[in-house]
Amino acid sequence: MTLFKKLLGVGLFLALVLVLVPWLIERSGRWDFYYTLTSVALLSIASAGVWLTFYIGRINIGQGAYALVGGYVSAILVTQAGMNFWLTLPLAGLFCALLSVLIGLPILRLRGVYFAMVTLVLTEVVRLTALALPITNGARGIVNIPLPTELSLFGLTLIPDFGTLANPKLAFYLAAVIMMILSYAVLYRIVHSRLGHLCRSLQQNEELAASIGVNITYLRILAYSISSFFGGIAGASFVNISQSIYPSSFQVVDSVNFMLNCFLGGLGYVFGPMLGTLLLYFGWDLLFTTGKYQLLIYSSLLILLMLVLPNGLLSLRLSRKAKQPAQASPDKQPSGATP
Amino acid sequence: MEQIIANGLYLGAQYALIALGLTLIFSLMNVLNFAHGQMYVLGGFITYTVVAQLGLPFLLGILVSGLLLALMGAGVEKYLFRPVVARSVREESTMLLAAGIAFFLDAVILLLFGEKQRGIPKIVDGVFNWDFRIIMPYDRIVVGLLALAAVAAFILYMRYSRTGRAMRALAQDRTAAQLMGVDVNRYSMFGFALGAMLAGVAGGLLVSITGVNLGMGGPTSIKAFMMIMIGGAGVISGAIAGGFILGMMESVGLTVLAAYGDVTYLIIFASLMVFLAFRPQGLMGKPWG
Amino acid sequence: MNPNPILEVDQVTRRFGGLTAVNKVSFTVQPSEILSVIGPNGAGKSTLFKLISSFLHTSEGEVRLKGERISDLAPHIVARKGVVRTFQETTIFRAMTVRENIIIAHHLRAKASLAGYFWGSAAARQDQAAFARSADEIIQFLGMGAIANELASNLPQGNLRALGIAIGLATDPKVLLLDEPFAGMNHDETMHMVQLVQNVRQERGITVLLVEHDIPAVMKISDRIVVINFGEKIAEGTPEDIRNNDKVIEAYLGREDDAIGM
Repeated sequence: MTLFKKLLGVGLFLALVLVLVPWLIERSGRWDFYYTLTSVALLSIASAGVWLTFYIGRINIGQGAYALVGGYVSAILVTQAGMNFWLTLPLAGLFCALLSVLIGLPILRLRGVYFAMVTLVLTEVVRLTALALPITNGARGIVNIPLPTELSLFGLTLIPDFGTLANPKLAFYLAAVIMMILSYAVLYRIVHSRLGHLCRSLQQNEELAASIGVNITYLRILAYSISSFFGGIAGASFVNISQSIYPSSFQVVDSVNFMLNCFLGGLGYVFGPMLGTLLLYFGWDLLFTTGKYQLLIYSSLLILLMLVLPNGLLSLRLSRKAKQPAQASPDKQPSGATP
Repeated sequence: MEQIIANGLYLGAQYALIALGLTLIFSLMNVLNFAHGQMYVLGGFITYTVVAQLGLPFLLGILVSGLLLALMGAGVEKYLFRPVVARSVREESTMLLAAGIAFFLDAVILLLFGEKQRGIPKIVDGVFNWDFRIIMPYDRIVVGLLALAAVAAFILYMRYSRTGRAMRALAQDRTAAQLMGVDVNRYSMFGFALGAMLAGVAGGLLVSITGVNLGMGGPTSIKAFMMIMIGGAGVISGAIAGGFILGMMESVGLTVLAAYGDVTYLIIFASLMVFLAFRPQGLMGKPWG
Repeated sequence: MNPNPILEVDQVTRRFGGLTAVNKVSFTVQPSEILSVIGPNGAGKSTLFKLISSFLHTSEGEVRLKGERISDLAPHIVARKGVVRTFQETTIFRAMTVRENIIIAHHLRAKASLAGYFWGSAAARQDQAAFARSADEIIQFLGMGAIANELASNLPQGNLRALGIAIGLATDPKVLLLDEPFAGMNHDETMHMVQLVQNVRQERGITVLLVEHDIPAVMKISDRIVVINFGEKIAEGTPEDIRNNDKVIEAYLGREDDAIGM
């Protein structure tokens, strides 16, 4: 792709999400779409993190844990320390990144099903912890979190106080979309720099990567902590939009969904998780009208999808480009720990 | 002290039964059955239906739970996992399929049985009391013993029956077993059925003590994952060890840490991570890589 | 003999539970030498290989590179110090092209930091250009120009093995460890590979330590040979010495299939 085409693509996308979508919503009066699209934008940030762990050859079903931790960190700082939400946002991300280094050191040695299992357990453990700790207020959660306040630098207002805005929904939407764009820009840079090539080398063959001198432990931790940072800021933002957080705000189902978003959108494509999140969220929302059959239909579709396209939507493209059968798989190497 | 050990053994026997089914399926097909907890809950609801709704004996309820789940397990293997395993190039696909099945079973349970907690009348009355050192209701003792008997029966079956031996060969080395003439498809299906049956029986036992509800599926799967990680995935002795260890830890944790709120699982998880850092293959698992 | 060996294997021992896979093996490798380790199946060759490249930790003894202990370090550190292995299972990055494989293997020579790569610093761009140049040199050196843009997973066996060596070269090693470079090759392919390995030594001055089954090829390629059996060194010397060594003949008795067949 030429630079011009790339810039054009980015420009069109920006125009679409920052101008066209708000305009359409304005015209149609479907204000509820703001909430839906804000959610999609934030969830796709968390999914981007999961995608990055996929990129180093790990199946991560633990992003819900970091989203929950990030949410609580932000909620506690805002409600108890009276901090500005915009400051708690990076703090929540950093806290999650730090936590993920501690957790990642032992568990990133595991591979395949084993890593997936531990991360899944992690989601549940964080939920149980949130239930048990006094600071998280147990099952009652933290509610009535104030809207983000003004962020100013040297008297210059960078972000206005959301409480005073005529249309906080639009503001939330814009904030979420800008965060999403920044996150995916970071992801894109990672993937298309040497860092990404090293991640790919890790995905394909960890032993060989080590023997050409790649510090695989460090690289795994780095990727995992970036992933968790994404999870943390997504969780923190989500919580502040809904102005409440409970231990059940992010649970195992959410962790599975983050993975599903990546899988659906395509694991070989940086913007895949964004597309996957959009499809899945809207799909789930559409099924809302089916009432109590929502989960039944949703899960049936999921099973059907796996039966028809066990290698994800991306495999449609791959089968046409038959020259690349091996877009495959970190996972044809045996599961297990590195020595 | 004695009380803690007794509680641990009672929990451990049930946990081992759950972990056995999960590890059997894993060892045969390298599939992590996310729906295991839902199968367990379904087993509980079936026993509830047979005993509380139809008024039939408890043992019959367990039998029906086991049989229906076995049928379902066989179907799930044959029509869902087998085609996906055959065509997928990534491990994620079977995981997502399993997750899909877990959601599906949750939806089915919700539609058929609702969200309410369900239980059956006590199967045996009375409380065993040894000088107030061990106090345990008789029904818990019966259920614990039944679970132990099921574990023992399973071990004997795997060790001495023709089918059991074939499944163990398959678990050890799929290719070699194939060369020896073991019908891989048939025994995979059989193993899946047996694993699901164990989950069903465990669920049936549980409903007589604590009852079942819709929300128990996911957490149960997760406990089962922890057990097989402790013991070593795909190893029968490991599943049993993992079950009893988790049961014991939970029993100790609930007693000792009661004052600090329920942080038992946080501590169990933290110790599990430290343990895995040193022994990623679990207690009894074969070292990988 | 040169008193300053590049690599010293000193009393290296490895036990697995009660089993001693490698027992007090010692030998030295001289700079720019081609030294082969041979031995019957299960003699402990692969274990020894992993001990030298530090993919396994030693139970006793140590491995030294120019007098500096390298055993029991993390594998990537050992690689950074200049001891680089290729693999028995022709492992390469399957979903990358030949050229991408070689470029990524230049990692050890990277001067820019990872952050530098992220922001696209000048050093990072210089690295990239240098790696691409060097990769092209290696491709030319090994005569792989025709397949440079093939996906590695599409390559036949012989080319894969050559790619393994190319990856090794890209790391600019002092000592290249080759694990069964001739396994599964026919006579012509083997001879081609022997030529490649000899070129590597002659034109780049790289020391080569290889573990191999194929006795005729080993006899042809090696300056010296170390023979191990049941985890212990039973002989060491020039190909001529080894050919006439009674212990070696005894170890291989009844195993002519290994010696001839491959």
